[in-house]
Amino acid sequence: MGYYDIDDILADSVEIPCKFQHDIPGLGYLENNPGKPVKKNAKLELPLWLARILAIIDGDTNEGELNQDEESVPFVELLTPDMFSPKVINAIKADPTSLDLHAINSYFYALALKWISLFSDREFADIVTTLLLERSQAINNHASSVSVEFKSSLDSVRGTQVTAGASNAAASMFLLTLDEFEKKVYKKSHESYKETKKWMFEK
Amino acid sequence: MSLPKHLQETFSPEEIQFIVENEPIKIFPRITTRQRVNMVNKNASQHWKLITTDDWALNNMVATQSTTVVLWIALLLKQQSKCSIVAPEWLTVRALDRHIQYEKKNTDRFSELPWNWLVLARILFNRAPEDFHDPVHELRSRIQDLREIRQTKVLKGLKYLNESHLQLDNLSLLEINELRPFIVDIMDKLREIHSAAVVAGNEDGNNEEDDFDFS
Repeated sequence: MGYYDIDDILADSVEIPCKFQHDIPGLGYLENNPGKPVKKNAKLELPLWLARILAIIDGDTNEGELNQDEESVPFVELLTPDMFSPKVINAIKADPTSLDLHAINSYFYALALKWISLFSDREFADIVTTLLLERSQAINNHASSVSVEFKSSLDSVRGTQVTAGASNAAASMFLLTLDEFEKKVYKKSHESYKETKKWMFEK
Repeated sequence: MSLPKHLQETFSPEEIQFIVENEPIKIFPRITTRQRVNMVNKNASQHWKLITTDDWALNNMVATQSTTVVLWIALLLKQQSKCSIVAPEWLTVRALDRHIQYEKKNTDRFSELPWNWLVLARILFNRAPEDFHDPVHELRSRIQDLREIRQTKVLKGLKYLNESHLQLDNLSLLEINELRPFIVDIMDKLREIHSAAVVAGNEDGNNEEDDFDFS
């Protein structure tokens, strides 16, 4: 994931529920009332790019040596967002392929990856791994079922070449549930299968 | 970027064909290019001078004596009916039947077809169909059978994608090329998920040695 990666930037702007662990003056605009302080234990939704940093840096850094002995408390505590709640995890365990990942979050894998590296959550990593593996089978099936109308391209009567035939309803239903990463994979592999098939049967 | 997006990480089928066209193949020339000893210097300008391939064979062709040239030259000569192409020995009904038998018997591996079988078969079927001893439609159907059998095996193999490696013995270049974007992308993501959990776990001080064999 690069610095200039658009999908990464969009994934980083997804909001995560956070709990503030300090009173902080001046930051009220995060709660949409500027000028006021943010109170301790206030729950807000912060974009991941902000929340990730605030969850690591502790609020005592500028107070120096006064309370070095105490364990430092970071500005915010990240709360588990809906997309990683037990409800979703159970749904993943039950049937990965029928899950509507796009509705849960369109950057599910990117966020899961960030979440896993933040909390070093091996259990969740295993769940996401099986999720990806199971869904990739279905993606490959849909990507490889290329219906190319060779007739029209060979006849060249119509001039326009109909390459992608009418994809059936079941396929398009599944494709609507793909998250952004899976869409990319689908697009690329579909293109690859299509190019190969075209090369095999034309000329 | 200067290289189109769809070519950045893989080859197009046309490029695969280009690679395959650089392989040697046996032909029967219908022209003679070998010069008599006393004429060698006279017609020197008519000699082939090639820098990417051996031009000796081309300057010593004798009609109906088989010789070996690069495939792209063979196709050029064939186009002008100046040679006929000898199909490789695996491209016969008998050899293909043997491969099909092998594929059916061994469900866990691919038969030892050459790395360019699919591409070479397609090129020769299209460009030199009259040079086969066996009827082309039978060869075609057997190539198609092989392709389908191997595709189902590939589909089975994709269930075992993981974050470390994959062994694909005897899978041909074109078959690998059409799978490349899918397999590489999925395995890349699996690796990212795996290493995110493992590397972070290491920082916490609860590293398990065996997890680091792959990373």
